[in-house]
Amino acid sequence: MGSGAHGSAAAMDPLPQYAPPDPAADIFAAADPSQQASWRAFAAGLAAQGQGKLSELQPHIDHHVEDLGLAFRLTGDEHERAWPLNPMPIFIGATEWAGIEAGLVQRANLLEAVLADIYGPQQLVADGHLPAAVVSGSGGFARRMVGMRPPGGHFLHIYAVDLARGPAGEWRVLADRAQLTIGLGFALENRLAMTRATGGLLASIGTRRLTPFFDALRQGLAADCERAEPRIGILTPGRFNQSYPEQAHLARHLGFSLVEGRDLTVNDGRLYVRTIAGLKRIDALWRWIKTRDSDPLNFDARSQIGVPGLIDAAAHGLVLANWPGAGVIESRAMPAFLPRLSRILFNEPLRLPNAATWWCGGESERAQVLARLDELVISSAFRLPVAGLPDGHTRVGRLLSSAEREQIVAGMALRPMDYTAQEIVSLSTTPIVSGDRFEPRGFTLRAFLARNGEGQWVALPGGFARVSEHGDLRTSLMGLGDISTDVCILDPSPIAPGIAAGPANQAPRRDLGLLPSQAADNLYWLGRYGERAHQIVRIVRTLIEQVGAANERDEAFSTVQRLADLLRGLGAVPPVSTSWQPSRIAAAALSDSKREGSVRGLAASGRQIALLLRDRLTRDSWRAIHRPLPAKLPEDFERIAVLCDDLVERFAAIARLTADGMSRGAAWHFLDMGLCIERASIVLQAVRPLTGGTASSDDLAALLDLVDAQTLYRSRYLASPTLAPVIDLVMLDPAHPRCFAYQVVQIEQHLASLPDRRDDGMLEQPLRLARQLIARIEAVDADGVNEAFVAGLQAALAQLSNAIASRYFLHAEPPSTRETASFLG
Amino acid sequence: MIYKVRHATQMTYAAPVAAARYNLRLQPATWSGQRMRDYLLTVNPAPARSTNNSGPYWVVTTQIEFNRPLRELELVSEFTMEVDPPLEGQRGPSLDVLREQVLAARDLTPLAPAPYLFASRIAVPSTDIAAWAARHVPAGAGVVEVASAIMTAIAQEFDYRPGATTSATPPSEAFAARAGVCQDFSHVMIIALRAQGIPAAYASGYLRTVPPPGKERLVGADAMHAWVNVWCGKDLGWIGFDPTNACLVHDDHIQIGMGRDYADVSPIDGTFLGSAPQTMVTSVDVRVV
Repeated sequence: MGSGAHGSAAAMDPLPQYAPPDPAADIFAAADPSQQASWRAFAAGLAAQGQGKLSELQPHIDHHVEDLGLAFRLTGDEHERAWPLNPMPIFIGATEWAGIEAGLVQRANLLEAVLADIYGPQQLVADGHLPAAVVSGSGGFARRMVGMRPPGGHFLHIYAVDLARGPAGEWRVLADRAQLTIGLGFALENRLAMTRATGGLLASIGTRRLTPFFDALRQGLAADCERAEPRIGILTPGRFNQSYPEQAHLARHLGFSLVEGRDLTVNDGRLYVRTIAGLKRIDALWRWIKTRDSDPLNFDARSQIGVPGLIDAAAHGLVLANWPGAGVIESRAMPAFLPRLSRILFNEPLRLPNAATWWCGGESERAQVLARLDELVISSAFRLPVAGLPDGHTRVGRLLSSAEREQIVAGMALRPMDYTAQEIVSLSTTPIVSGDRFEPRGFTLRAFLARNGEGQWVALPGGFARVSEHGDLRTSLMGLGDISTDVCILDPSPIAPGIAAGPANQAPRRDLGLLPSQAADNLYWLGRYGERAHQIVRIVRTLIEQVGAANERDEAFSTVQRLADLLRGLGAVPPVSTSWQPSRIAAAALSDSKREGSVRGLAASGRQIALLLRDRLTRDSWRAIHRPLPAKLPEDFERIAVLCDDLVERFAAIARLTADGMSRGAAWHFLDMGLCIERASIVLQAVRPLTGGTASSDDLAALLDLVDAQTLYRSRYLASPTLAPVIDLVMLDPAHPRCFAYQVVQIEQHLASLPDRRDDGMLEQPLRLARQLIARIEAVDADGVNEAFVAGLQAALAQLSNAIASRYFLHAEPPSTRETASFLG
Repeated sequence: MIYKVRHATQMTYAAPVAAARYNLRLQPATWSGQRMRDYLLTVNPAPARSTNNSGPYWVVTTQIEFNRPLRELELVSEFTMEVDPPLEGQRGPSLDVLREQVLAARDLTPLAPAPYLFASRIAVPSTDIAAWAARHVPAGAGVVEVASAIMTAIAQEFDYRPGATTSATPPSEAFAARAGVCQDFSHVMIIALRAQGIPAAYASGYLRTVPPPGKERLVGADAMHAWVNVWCGKDLGWIGFDPTNACLVHDDHIQIGMGRDYADVSPIDGTFLGSAPQTMVTSVDVRVV
């Protein structure tokens, strides 16, 4: 390979120049020739795609990463960061992977057995195989769970593990993650971004697909539930969490509901989600909240993000993945005991060793560690600050100062159980794209396992690798400056594409999903904000056109004034703007970043809400919502007008993309109701000042402009606008989609389609109010639309909006938690 | 000594609160040297559900749940308890031997030493407290002497000053101020002992109200009290030290429960929808029968 004169791909293969310092310790250089061919084919494909320049690829990948909304936070970050993904994946051969997979499955079974013992008979402790302090010292130990058995019997459903590949190609476990399996969503999204960015390149090489793993995960959770068609939720700490984007992606990908603690309630030992159709039972929760925060009644009373009584529901059949307290096995001391526990429990050695670990609570281990400190890394066993390791981080023994060393020795004399040591693990390298070349970098792999419908473990074929030039690769997700890369398993016979795994006789369903009240609320407001921003742009555009006309006709000035009043009434510009020039009003209404009611402010609010709806928005609408407004506004009217045209198109596109991406179920009803209510309310505000009989033809033309009805009007009436026909078209004509009457009819239809919670056969309050509104409109003609009538409609519309909110949305403040100051002596 | 204890709590809310659930930790858990003759918990209004669990630490937790809005809640816990004086004059093993015994104990139950060896939610390790404690450890002493020395140092150096702290003040702040109440003193002592590798637990309970003839009234009577249980080796087990009164726990102390710190044994906590109670009145009466 490599010098074929015809194969253009081979000619472009950039890997021949790749020169790792130690080829034997490089996963590519040491691979057998048939596997190397796959690496080369992919590298050549990348080079071809970048037209010879590898550096062309990164922006392309970044674009797809951004499109997917892949982002994360480092601790303390205010804003999300883009997820760093390198264009070059790591390829692992099927045989090598089979060995890793078997080792991981064995380890998952071992950890399950250890958990079942710790939370059950505690025989391993009683027999001296597992020191009590290794359990009680672990922050993940939940004593409250001792004696409770999970429904279905599984403490672990999903398990993540960090692996290192040593210089001789041997794989070792660095860390086990059972509490929160952070990174699974990123592994999935890495693959999606790679597939999109590189076309059919991965498929042409023959790599295993990830989808069957997620099907297995879903079936594994469902299999433990009491009901045959279970409702499964993902419990998120909320959008400020480090990995909220991945939680939202997983919810969307798996079809689970993304819920927060305040969406949930426990009644009589059952868990329910508050939805627009009332309380709906949840059968299983995949929790992304640490055990101690998950239930303020049973764990930390201060938690604001948990569900009071969650553990009572777990005791009555709620499946929790993973079971609270599973994190006990994450302690750094635990790996020291796993080789022995494997022999005791399974009578077999670990197939996949962990990095050799010594827990200093044992006397001979302590002596060994102190004697060999220079060859080891030393850690706080339970990740807490301890003497000599004040931040609880892992340190390399030979890099410790003598003062630090003394502190550690002194600390170990008083509290030896707080320390563990590990052998130093060297990493093999992998080629990554850096600039226009490939460079060798050390890597670690995060792999994932899940139980399938039969309760057997299956591994995600691949995972994501972390590549770092410096820094600690043992942090939970990504460190500063780390990059990630996709890991693919080479398979000459991958599952034929197009054949979906899963139960063979799954019946098609049209379940529109349950809509939590919280999500309904957010959708409604997304609709309102979007439409209001859209309408304000229209008003600004009309205002600018009227200013142009005012240069010719004086009476157009009063129209400009009325439009400015309308902008003030909508909060787009401040009350003091009465003395402002029209150009300043236009600029402020579009772009005043300090004003919530300006287009910029409304767009920002819309984006905030969209973050909460990440699992419900399509990729296209997500992208459209997040496209930023121009930072700087043009200054002359003509160019502001062009920008307005642009923004009108953009907001219309967002509304359309968002609505088109949704099934016509409850979610869409709320989104569109928000839009209709907002549109109706703005029409009323625009019409009301014109009902006094003083409207000029410019005023009426402007009004027609706002509701996009100039053309329609002209096709009906030859004369220039007069009051009664305009009012009829803007207020009363149910066939015109920007007319007030049309909005009310739409709202009524949406409400009629929503679930009815009354059992007395009477109408729900919002529907009754909507029908009253329709009746008022139907009973009047254009002459009857006077100021009092419009004011009455405004009041009725506000009442309707309030009725929708109180019927469908959440009102409960987050639960108060309280500890009593009990007059202690 | 036989006591009749009555502990009443009355909470009033400005506006009714919904979905109220509470953990009550008022019923004494069995304890060596204590024999409970009767127990009665009265909850008014009656809860929709009430369950009793032991644990997760050495404590009885009563969970109550209301299904209608609550404006007032009254809790009365009453019991009769017979209390024996403990043995005196114990020394306990040296700290080196004790540390070995702690790690060798094959026991994870709530009475074992291992659960009380590590940082807990309130009793967070502090290098200041650890360094201060190290200065008060007599060389070569047995564990009882070490615990007594630290207890005495707290009693001497700290001001007993109700109001100096609240129930939410971190122990490290009470330590810096050298002032507080029984809860603060106990937490500081727990942190000091754990820094030495000695398992230490937070005990909650009551003190006799009326002193025996000719003796002074103990501080902390007429309220709930707290002290420290120290694991003094596999032969002696748990021994109580009261840093507020600078004495070993005697038959004046009636224990309710034991946990890693106050959070594990707090008499009442819970969740509800609404605002915190407007008023909360507690009265404790401990009578010698």
